[in-house]
Amino acid sequence: MSGLYLFARIAGTGIAIPTDNVEAVIRLGELSPVPGSPPHIAGLSALRSRVLTIIDAAQLICAVDTAECPSSSDERHAVVCEVSGHSYGILVDGVQDIRTIEGSPMPVCGRIEEAWRPFAKAVIEYDGEPRFVLSTADLLDSCLSVPTV
Amino acid sequence: MDELLSEFVAETQESLEALSNGVVALEADPSNRELLGELFRFFHTVKGSCGFLNLPRFERLSHAAEDVLSEIRAGDIVPDSATITAVLSVMDRIAELCGAIETGDPLPHEDDQQLIETLKHCFRNGAGAVSMETDVESVVPALTAANLDGLIDVESDAAATLQQAEDRGKFSGTSRTIRLPLTLIDQLMNGVSDMVLARNELARKLRGGNVDPELETAFERLSGCIADMRETISKTRMQRVDRLFMAIPRMVRDLSRDLGKNIELVLEGGDVEMDREMVEMVVDPLTHIVRNSIDHGIETAEQRRAAGKPIPGTLRVSAHQSGSQIVIEVMDDGRGINVDAVVAKVIAAGIMTAQDIAQLNEQQKLDLIFTPGLSTAQEITAISGRGVGMDIVRANIERIGGVISLANEPGQGLTITMRVPLTLTIIPGLILKAGGLNFAIPRTAVIEILHDNNPTVSIARLGGGLTATIRNVRYSMIDLEDVVGLPKLEQIGARSLIIVRSATGKPYILGVAQVENHEELVIRPAAPMVMAAGIYAGMTLPDNGHPMLLLDAGGIAQTAQLPLITETVEVGSGDTTQDDGPQSYTGLRFVELSGEERIIRLSLVERVEDVPLESFGVTAGRPHVSVGGRLISCVRAVSREDVPPGSREVTCLRVRDDARELCYPIAAVLDIGEVPNELDMSACHGVVAGIVLVDGQQIEVVDGHALMASAAQGDMPVRASARCLISDADDSWNREILGPLLSQIGYEVIWGDDDVERQPGDIVLMTSANASQPVIGEGEAVLRLRSFSQPSGPDDTSIYRYDRDALLQAISSLEQRMGVA
Repeated sequence: MSGLYLFARIAGTGIAIPTDNVEAVIRLGELSPVPGSPPHIAGLSALRSRVLTIIDAAQLICAVDTAECPSSSDERHAVVCEVSGHSYGILVDGVQDIRTIEGSPMPVCGRIEEAWRPFAKAVIEYDGEPRFVLSTADLLDSCLSVPTV
Repeated sequence: MDELLSEFVAETQESLEALSNGVVALEADPSNRELLGELFRFFHTVKGSCGFLNLPRFERLSHAAEDVLSEIRAGDIVPDSATITAVLSVMDRIAELCGAIETGDPLPHEDDQQLIETLKHCFRNGAGAVSMETDVESVVPALTAANLDGLIDVESDAAATLQQAEDRGKFSGTSRTIRLPLTLIDQLMNGVSDMVLARNELARKLRGGNVDPELETAFERLSGCIADMRETISKTRMQRVDRLFMAIPRMVRDLSRDLGKNIELVLEGGDVEMDREMVEMVVDPLTHIVRNSIDHGIETAEQRRAAGKPIPGTLRVSAHQSGSQIVIEVMDDGRGINVDAVVAKVIAAGIMTAQDIAQLNEQQKLDLIFTPGLSTAQEITAISGRGVGMDIVRANIERIGGVISLANEPGQGLTITMRVPLTLTIIPGLILKAGGLNFAIPRTAVIEILHDNNPTVSIARLGGGLTATIRNVRYSMIDLEDVVGLPKLEQIGARSLIIVRSATGKPYILGVAQVENHEELVIRPAAPMVMAAGIYAGMTLPDNGHPMLLLDAGGIAQTAQLPLITETVEVGSGDTTQDDGPQSYTGLRFVELSGEERIIRLSLVERVEDVPLESFGVTAGRPHVSVGGRLISCVRAVSREDVPPGSREVTCLRVRDDARELCYPIAAVLDIGEVPNELDMSACHGVVAGIVLVDGQQIEVVDGHALMASAAQGDMPVRASARCLISDADDSWNREILGPLLSQIGYEVIWGDDDVERQPGDIVLMTSANASQPVIGEGEAVLRLRSFSQPSGPDDTSIYRYDRDALLQAISSLEQRMGVA
């Protein structure tokens, strides 16, 4: 079994997102903040006539700002996806590649950090380096369950 | 599902809906051939299509109904109520079957044969009784007597019926329509929004450098096209309120029959348009209210007789547009709400204590009907009249940004008014600034905007809480920055206070850095995690491309846990100013076509709309404009030079008093704000009453009286005027020149021969051609006209026929002499 994956980093950790629930990867401009919302809501951004709610994945998982992550560059990238009628952009550190990986994802081994446990369901290898496989739906679902500050 | 089949189901359902009112109307007027024809055509079409699609049950049902109807048509037979009921049940069965096919459920197993037999049986009996009668006049009373208990008197408003007939005529006739999935229209709408954004970006780029004028012209043209297209697309979302009313006649008929009540239904304003989605949202609450009115509001015939009311109860459902809202009114002349019973119930249910209730005024007590939990009690419906699920009705209306209100006259009736926004997606909003960010708030939630340095405002801070007293009324107040957790930035100038209507109807004050402007906003739902904050109602993408959040006025009050009370401060405690009513009013600031800034009382302005340039015209020096098929007086003439090049529409204020409408073309609306009652300088000139100073700026105030007076010029008073009898009807001058002149002035013109019955007070006009005729009787007012300008002799008392003034004066003096006696 093979699949097409998008490779990026979240708070420095390598991840792979299956591309069947990714619509596009965009370069973000200025965001309109959403005051009164949890810190992982980075803001709103317009994609043509759509409004994307931007989720800061590093904030959500590791409670650090994506902007402060070592692997982030000046350009911010977001992975665009649509879940139940709403459009989202998931802010990641740096998009590296989109590539087809042969073979099935492997189970997670080793004692991984608490923060990653709810999200990391599997691992695949990219250029010999292991990557967590994340699904956008899991990420967005957890946004809802994180209590509002 | 097969495509053909699904189309058949959709079409049949649509026709069924359109027809059900026809059947009810047919019962009210069984001799209506046109309606009979429609029904017949429907069954005929169904029969034809289902034979083709192999649907034997549909075919049998429609065949039976078609047979009966065709006999009724052919035999000039007036159907009785039982036959119509049978036809209705066949229609219901067809609808049921359609529903089953649509959802893919197994077809219901009722026996169609029995229905068909009933239909035939009813028809034979009914027809037997009346088939020999050909005189419709005598049939109808006979029918009424025969079916006294079964016959329901459901009469639509004559106009509404006519309208329906006309619409259906259009439907089956020339108007061509196609069926489109809603998602396609939404996609189109999104596409157009994208186009607008792309255009704006292009516009920004073009503004940057030296641009070739030709390129600019081309861009202007493109801009215009996009604007037109955007408007057209938004129209596709609009639907006539007729659709909302569609189910009502049938429901009234069925319910009143079940309850044995006699109800006259009047439907008004079906041609008002509102957003399709909105129609869907209002159907349920409206149905609920109508059902309540019939069930609990309108009394039985005996009760009505005892109360001295007309036996048939009246239920009036009307819709009209008011600004950006649709007002739907359900009015009945039933027993109204028994407020005491509601109060008793609220106390009994332990929702409020007697002390709490003693503090409420009548309207607040009445509003207790909306208390949640009241609906669960069964017996309340018997005592109070109403109360079944009114809390749910209100919740539904408020969810779509609407307001519901009651006007109760115990023993005389109840009027329920629902005000809902025109559309869910495009709403007028105010853009405001707080903590360096822009937010939007729906215009409907805003009652008033003031500056915090306004002398009528005082703000007090106690234990961290803010209280604002405005014109002697205390309100809870909160700064938006505190709600959303933003820093309050230093700013030059005053902050703005917005008096906001909360979900419970109690206003509170929202402090913001600044209110920027007023804009039509396309609202999109916000993501759940944004909504979770509890203070946002959605988001919007203004033309600048930066998304903006729409505030939820009710949610802010809840999140901030504001105690929502308002109370009037006792005047006299240290405050010696006499309260002479409000010191200010809400005014609309606008720019005249000629460039001046002026203010008009907002309450005078019914709505603001864009009117195409070609609708304006001038006749005999009086400018007018045609709007919606009517001519309305216009304040000034509008020509192509008055509008910016490329624009084909003029913004107009629609001003109205109790009787007359006026169109006031302007260049642009600027702002809505408080205007002091007192003029800073009185300078009556034309439509201007004087000047007020608003924020240090001199602005002319429009004189409402002078404005309406300018529209009144040339208005004819409606009077019961005398009849003018023109004796020689064959004379072409009489017919083509004199007659039209008289009727234009307001006289009733009678073409006289000897056989016309003369009434006292008639004025007889004679031309010289028959001047030789003897005077007809004493006391007749006779006016003779001659063709030559000079009188023929000293005895000639006739009037030269082109001496308009003398002619009119003579008629009016004759009219006075004859007296209206």
